[in-house]
Amino acid sequence: MAGEDKKGKGAVQAGTAGPKKLDRREVLMGLSTVPALGLFGYAWSRQRRYQQARLQEAAAQPVAAGDLQEINVALLGAGAQGQVLTDAMLRIPGLRFRAVCDVWTEYNQKRVVNSLRKFKHEVNGYEDYREMLDKEKELDAVVIATPDFWHEKHAVDCLKAGKQVYCEKEMSNTLEGARAMVAAARETGKLLQIGHQRRSNPRYLHCYEKLIGEAKLLGRIVTINGQWNRALTPDLGAPDRYAIPDARLKQYGFRDMRQFRNWRWYRGLGGGPIVDLGSHQIDIYSWFLGVNPSAVTARGGTLYHDPVTHEWYDTAMVVYDYDTALGPAMGYYQTQTTNGSQGYFENFMGDQGTLLISESEVHGARLYRDTNAPAWDTWVQRGFIAAPKIQEVQEKDDTAVTDVRESISPDEHLVPIVIRDPFHQPHLQNFFDAVRGKATLNCPSEEAYATAVAVLKVNEAIEAKSRLSFKPEDFTI
Amino acid sequence: MEDARFSSGQMIAITVLRVAVGWHFLYEGIAKLTAASWSAAGYLKQARGPFAGLFKWLAGEPNLLANADLITMWGLTLVGLLLILGLFTKLASLGGIGFIVLFYLANPPFVGYFYSIPTEGSYLIVNKNLVELCALVVVLVTGSGRFAGLDRIVHGLFGRQRIATA
Repeated sequence: MAGEDKKGKGAVQAGTAGPKKLDRREVLMGLSTVPALGLFGYAWSRQRRYQQARLQEAAAQPVAAGDLQEINVALLGAGAQGQVLTDAMLRIPGLRFRAVCDVWTEYNQKRVVNSLRKFKHEVNGYEDYREMLDKEKELDAVVIATPDFWHEKHAVDCLKAGKQVYCEKEMSNTLEGARAMVAAARETGKLLQIGHQRRSNPRYLHCYEKLIGEAKLLGRIVTINGQWNRALTPDLGAPDRYAIPDARLKQYGFRDMRQFRNWRWYRGLGGGPIVDLGSHQIDIYSWFLGVNPSAVTARGGTLYHDPVTHEWYDTAMVVYDYDTALGPAMGYYQTQTTNGSQGYFENFMGDQGTLLISESEVHGARLYRDTNAPAWDTWVQRGFIAAPKIQEVQEKDDTAVTDVRESISPDEHLVPIVIRDPFHQPHLQNFFDAVRGKATLNCPSEEAYATAVAVLKVNEAIEAKSRLSFKPEDFTI
Repeated sequence: MEDARFSSGQMIAITVLRVAVGWHFLYEGIAKLTAASWSAAGYLKQARGPFAGLFKWLAGEPNLLANADLITMWGLTLVGLLLILGLFTKLASLGGIGFIVLFYLANPPFVGYFYSIPTEGSYLIVNKNLVELCALVVVLVTGSGRFAGLDRIVHGLFGRQRIATA
């Protein structure tokens, strides 16, 4: 400030001493706010300790890890999905991360290695999974989250190296690949769980075992409607300084960095939204109905995106036929990637009730009792479902037209299962429980193979523009 | 302060203001630096107002975004440190003002904008960003670092050296 400047300079001039001889008052005033920095450092270190403690708490459940046989785990594929699985695994007790393998050593591998080290897991980073399998002899299990077209090679080689394997869905981008994986699991006698994580989700298990199985609240399921609506998202990019050298990209089957980052859209690498998104939900159709489809009709296309960079269809509308034990049924499925409204859900409609279910907490699960169904009071009393929601009395609108044929709106019951863990945690937990011999896999490779048959056929049906039939033997190996 | 225009009490108050704003900047910067993978992309994609196009474009350019992320993380940290220490206070204030102008313009509380992001208050034109910006303007024009801060020492030395060479 001007006045002060003059004053300050005046004081120094008056001193006229050499550079070292600063007025004591000047020095004290100059340093007067430094203690604030010390205070900040103290507060920040307290905050850091608190955050670390919370993370450790979240990572290590209060289960006596000593009672558990520790499982040595490696992550193969440290991209977005690999990170999701890692975050979930950090909450599972009795796991010891040993290695992380990813070809993007400049970024993804480094990120996951560093974050695991923060949790005191001494992990080694690898670019080549074969080197990892060679060097990390003590590995018990490998969790694979690489692009679909690598799954066969990775899973088969890990199984043959004697490792138990959790592999993300889609189990392969080709049926030949998926068959080879099932064969390797059988041959080696090792576990191969595929990441259709809804199969271990407490909400889905409750609906499958209790509501559909035991209480039979839906009656005979005749129609299904499932959707995954995803908002428009720009393609993934990567800063040039983290770019993978061309030679390495080619070595691992990618044309360039753009294709590497957006592999899901490319033929020969992924399967497009019907495989990425639809696979999860179409898997539930067969699971809940207890049969695989008998035919599929589908329309789809690249309606919105640039077909040069989005080789797979951005939109698909599919109808499956099923011959269930109770009679024929049809399942509609839609996925599109230009609008995220309504998100994702599956809606099962039977002659006694409707089940609207989703992995997302936005929809949760709710059951609607059809008017001709017997009362559900027993199931409310037993805690299978919540008491019906009180229907609000609608204000009369004289201008609204009512049709006498319109059904009375059915009672809505919430399914009282709230998920607080990451979506993938129960499925991974099931896998590690199976590794310890304390559980059987909820989605072994044979089950996932049947889903792959049903799902990969959609792309074929879109191309063929006709109804394609399945034979029961298509689903078995 | 024995200044003609401001009393010591007034200058102390402005210094406290400077340190508080610096503290906030420093923690905003450090929190981003220590987060697992912080990026401005989410914030930029939500941009509204006359410059929304520019901010959204930036979010879609990986190279520029990576630089913007680095500049934001380190910039906030540096501005915070300098403000607390009262070193190069005017430059730090200007830098801080620059950051806040960008934050303000990315999500301005203008008439007719309805945000779905929860906020802890109600704002019309003036929000806490703008108030912090005004605080930095006060710090800038009063040069509080030369009252209580390393600027006082720097300027003392600088002044003396000039005299020595004179």
